[in-house]
This record gives sequence, C-alpha cells and structure tokens, in this order.
Amino acid sequence: MLDLDEMKQMWADHDRKLEESIRLNMQLLSAAKLDKTQSALMRLTIYMALEAAVWLVIIVALGSFIYEHISQTKFVVSAVILDLYSIGMLNSLIRQIAASRLIDYGKPVAMIQKQIEALRIMRIRTTKWGVLTGFVVWVPSMIVVFKAAFRVNLYEPYWVWSMVTFGLALIPLTIWTSKRFSERMDGSSFIQSLMKSLAGYNLTAAADFVASVSEFQNEKHAS
Amino acid sequence: MTTPALQERFQTLVDTHKKILYKVCNSYCRNRDDREDLAQEIIVQLWRSFDTFDECSRFSTWMYRIALNVAISFYRRESTRTRYVLSDDERLLNAVDDTATQPAEIQVLYEFIEGLDPLNKALVLLYLDGNSYLEIANVLGISETNVATKISRLKQEMRQEFRGTVRA
Repeated sequence: MLDLDEMKQMWADHDRKLEESIRLNMQLLSAAKLDKTQSALMRLTIYMALEAAVWLVIIVALGSFIYEHISQTKFVVSAVILDLYSIGMLNSLIRQIAASRLIDYGKPVAMIQKQIEALRIMRIRTTKWGVLTGFVVWVPSMIVVFKAAFRVNLYEPYWVWSMVTFGLALIPLTIWTSKRFSERMDGSSFIQSLMKSLAGYNLTAAADFVASVSEFQNEKHAS
Repeated sequence: MTTPALQERFQTLVDTHKKILYKVCNSYCRNRDDREDLAQEIIVQLWRSFDTFDECSRFSTWMYRIALNVAISFYRRESTRTRYVLSDDERLLNAVDDTATQPAEIQVLYEFIEGLDPLNKALVLLYLDGNSYLEIANVLGISETNVATKISRLKQEMRQEFRGTVRA
C-alpha cells in the first residue's frame, strides 16, 4: 500500500524532474502577444457591452416611436411592451457586466468560483427568459417595425391574438422539446447549450455547483 | 502602464513558477490541446491581473489562485472551444504533453486527481505540492481546520484508491 507520505515524496521527485523538462515559450509571454489575446471572461464582457449598446439604441428608438405615435394606442402599447422587454434585457446585461468586472481571479478560489457561477446563473436566466418571452414579444415587434420602417399597419386584433396565443403555446412546447432533445444535439454546442438553458439543466448544474462550493467552504467535520 | 521592466519581471516570475502552470494544466485537462488552451488562458489572466499583485504576498500563492480559478472555470465551461492546430513553436508550455513519458506512478497520481471534483482536485494538488495547511487555506479561501478535515478524509480515500494499484 502506498501511503500519503510516499505519494508526496513521489510528487516531489516529479517536481524536481519538471524543472528540467518544462520549457516556456518566452516569445508568447511578451506583453504585445498577451495584450492581443483576450481571456474568455474579457471576450464575454466585450460581447455583453456590444449587446447592451444595441439594446440601448433600441430603447431610444422606441422612445422616439412612442412620442411620434402617442395618439395611437395600439402602436403605443406595442412599443411599450417592446420597450419593457428591451429595458429588462439591458438591465440584466448591465448587471452581468458589473458582476464580471468585480471578479478578481487573484482572490481565494471558493469566493471567486461563487462569483463566476452567480454570473453564469444570471446569463442563463437572461437567455432562458429572453428566448421564451421572445415568442410573444415578436408580435408587437413586427407591428412596431413595419409601422416605423414601411409605414404599414400590421395591427389586426384577430392576427395579434392568434399570434400571441400561438407564442404562449410555444413556450411549454419549447421547454418540453429542450428537455427531451438537448442531450442529442451533438452537432452544435451552441444549440445544445441553448436547449439546456431552456430546459433548466444549465441552471440546475450552476446551482448545484454553488451548493457544492458552499459545502466545501463550510464543512467542519470529516464524515 | 506596460513597461519593459514590468514585462521582464512578469516573465521571470512566471518562468520561475512554471511548474505550477504545468501541474494545474495536467490536473484539469488530459487532452493536449485543452492543456495548451488552459495554459494560455492562465497566462493571459496572470498578465491582466499582474498590476494588482500585492508584493507583500507570495507570488506562488497568487499564481495558484489565478491558475486554479481559471482552470475550474475552464473545466466547467459548458460550450466546447474553437480549436486551432498549433505547431510546437506556437505552444506556450512545450512539456505539457509529456504524460506519455511520465513514470507509471505519476500517471496514476494524475489519474487519481482527475477523478476528483474540481475543488478537491485543487486541494490535493496544493497538498501534494507541499503547501502548509495555512497556505492551502489562503489559496482556497477556507479555514485551516477545514483543510485539515478534508485532507484527513482524502488520505483515507487515497489509501483505498492506491491500495495494490501502484505497488504489486
């Protein structure tokens, strides 16, 4: 039987040999090369900032649309619904950007892993609710876009309520499909991840990891 | 902000502690390309955070924190990464793929570490590297008592794991 002291000794021997066998590519360690390379979190922050800018433009444009059509309730209501959706998305993105900027990888592992996972949870929730509410929000979006861009009035009560009902019915259907098929989407990691988010699997995994970090932090006695 | 002196200091410190990079990458990734990706992500994060490094603390403790935080995030990332075929000249850590030439005992140790969850993996790695309970506690952000408790439990698990595996 190998005891722990022997393992440590073996590891120490391995450590000594490593000194001679590892070579770092010092050229890749130059500031110029490193500054060009973006870390995963940095890429995510830039992507979120761009997305937030797009939502901000949409909110401003919708404000202008509402002002121009203030006397036409059907367009105002459609634009307000779309505006609330956009504000919700922007709010979530700003919170994600703020949370990502607070992450300092030089801090203790348990603390940072909880912060990273909280950010992941925020992102998963935004994706999930953004997509699911999108099934309904596309109806006022079409009304506003067609009116603003082409001066076409798409508002027809029967069509609106049919599409809203269809969108609402699509929500449970999408969740069911995601739960059933997310594991089978081998071809696209993006689609698989999206389906897992819609099905709630990613959220469950993130919550489980937060719980395991808390348990890791708080555990007092050996079982 | 970026001065040649700062860059030189960074390179020297990372080169001095390159074994941390190697061991963390090997413990969290068994695939060569994943190890290279992880090594690069760790280096980039070290460089980005270098100006916040407190000279009063040990570089190795700070490097462990960053390397382990990046490795755990990398390990847990749900999406697969875009792969590029790299030549040896483009690789950061050229011995990262040396697992084939490692002694069987070391491979068994890495396999044991690989079987652990990401947090216990960090704990075992720090312990085998000869860090004190206080140092481990500082890197992981848990109490010394908690470290001692976990190590004690892991000792039992490791004894069971290696019983008859390494020594005939």
